[in-house]
Amino acid sequence: MGNIWKAARLDLALVRPYWKSVCFNLVLPVVFAAVNRSLLTGICFAMSTMAMATVYPFSIAEKNGMERLYGILPVPKGALVLGRYVFVLAMGLLSLGVSLLAQPPVLRLLGVPVEPSEIVTAAAVGALLFVLFMVFQVPGYYRFGSIKGRAFLYIPVGGFLVISLALSKVPAVGRWVDSAAEAAPGRLIFSGALILLTLCALSVLLSVRIMENKEL
Amino acid sequence: MKLIISNVSGLPIYEQIKQQVKSAILSGELREEEMLPSLRTLAKDLKISVLTVTRAYTELEQEGFVKNVQGRGCFVMGSGSALIREQLIAKVEHHLTQAIQAAAMAELSTDQLHRLLDILTEVTPDD
Amino acid sequence: MTNYLEVRDLSKTFDTFQLRNVSFTLPKGYIMGLIGPNGAGKTTTIKLILNMLKPSGGVVRVLGMDAAGQAQQVKAELGVVFDTSYFSDQWTVSEAERAISVFYPGWDRGKFARLLEQFHIAPGKKVKALSKGMQMKLMLACAFSYDAKLLILDEPTSGLDPVSRDELLSILAAYIEDGQHSVLFSTHITADLERCADYITYLRSGQVFFTGSKDEFVDMFRIVKGGTEELTDEIRERAAGMRTFPTGFEALVKTEDIPRFPGLTVEGASMDEILVFTRREGEENG
Repeated sequence: MGNIWKAARLDLALVRPYWKSVCFNLVLPVVFAAVNRSLLTGICFAMSTMAMATVYPFSIAEKNGMERLYGILPVPKGALVLGRYVFVLAMGLLSLGVSLLAQPPVLRLLGVPVEPSEIVTAAAVGALLFVLFMVFQVPGYYRFGSIKGRAFLYIPVGGFLVISLALSKVPAVGRWVDSAAEAAPGRLIFSGALILLTLCALSVLLSVRIMENKEL
Repeated sequence: MKLIISNVSGLPIYEQIKQQVKSAILSGELREEEMLPSLRTLAKDLKISVLTVTRAYTELEQEGFVKNVQGRGCFVMGSGSALIREQLIAKVEHHLTQAIQAAAMAELSTDQLHRLLDILTEVTPDD
Repeated sequence: MTNYLEVRDLSKTFDTFQLRNVSFTLPKGYIMGLIGPNGAGKTTTIKLILNMLKPSGGVVRVLGMDAAGQAQQVKAELGVVFDTSYFSDQWTVSEAERAISVFYPGWDRGKFARLLEQFHIAPGKKVKALSKGMQMKLMLACAFSYDAKLLILDEPTSGLDPVSRDELLSILAAYIEDGQHSVLFSTHITADLERCADYITYLRSGQVFFTGSKDEFVDMFRIVKGGTEELTDEIRERAAGMRTFPTGFEALVKTEDIPRFPGLTVEGASMDEILVFTRREGEENG
């Protein structure tokens, strides 16, 4: 078991006692999707609320003064940081998985048709959104802590408002995403993934640097 | 062997250990070639510094009461009780000298001094 | 003799505080007390040893390894006890073990279970429900479960009841009994160290005032007492610290200076008294 994996498990152990709040973040978006009768909106909402929950490992660690534990564990700081990213990504994956499983049947039950292509698009947009939030939030929490850095907590709120505004007020955006996905899905996914990976790498590097220079 | 540490006796702890080991040797409680408690175990049991016990044992060795065998422990030397006896006699001589000086100041005759010693020996129970 | 901890010229500059050229050595198999008033630099020194702060200068070697360069190997051999637990208070004791045991290859689960029993800690109890003394013992149990060679305690006894403090001292005495473990114990309650510590490092205003064996430290000073008319200029000059009152004075002087002051009452000085007499203006009492 690598150090990164151990660090991610430590984060899981940290957040586990708060599983009820995390579950709430999984259920609420289903309701939201049903009210809005839109899978894309539902998924974006799910990813945004989960992105707000990624502050948990930071705030719990801060509340318990666990920087002392991180200071004495025989693990490089980089592994602790990478473990945190793995854990945050896992939270995103969980939210995406639950939403993709729960939202389409609920919508169909309400008489809203859900095409397979819509599911693919929603999944891609949701994943993109979550990773985008993460690359900005995590270094922010590392740099400022969860209390002083709570501005980073609200990034997803702003992000979600912008997205939903764009989807409702500028129908062209939705159509453009749809058409781009239909015309050249490979290219869209490839370039999107490339940009995301670069952002992730930069985010991780920044977080590791912050942690290594941090005086606990 | 009984070993206790007093915090109010005013004697340093290493000195207390030394005295108690010496009296155990003199009384025959600790016999020749017998091993003293291990230095670190004694420190743990009495909750005192290892260095303090080390000092007590080292000084006992320097004074010829015990012998430290590297890796095995501290053993009582055969000549230990003789040495202590010698020390005690020296102590008696010292105190008697003081008594004689005091007697001279009080203008007690040697006879009177002897009589005093006899009386004191009688009233002091041996223990 | 092998040294388990070597601190050489350790310095750290903050805006309002400076740790200057701190050096001391702790050999294998002994207990060292790190003493000094609050704010003298004890916690800073410990954080520098643990590599939680970056030194402005100096080196720390733990079991012969460079604490900065070989941080991971060093930390695998180090046990640390802080004044409160470093676990999530929502964890049970067993969950705490599960969370951190994976980081130590040598973790002995059986030993941990035995220690919990010995310390009367229920494995199902939540960390937040443990008393301060219990939290301390939980941290000790963790350190012993991976057989940490060097144990560092940062103010473990502040706020502990006398029974827990005494228990801690027994645990530490047993820990070093085999001669293969060492303890660095920071405290401002010197009574804890009066008997069991082998070495003392006394920090004052960010500098080492004394480092060496405890017996030597306690033997270094005497307290002389006398009436006001007996207080000479020489005493004033030579005293490391002094207290005067309407009917007399008490002064801390070097033991070697005692023959200079015949006729005065002379007493041994406890560590507490040495700390109080040698404190600087503006610092809290030890």
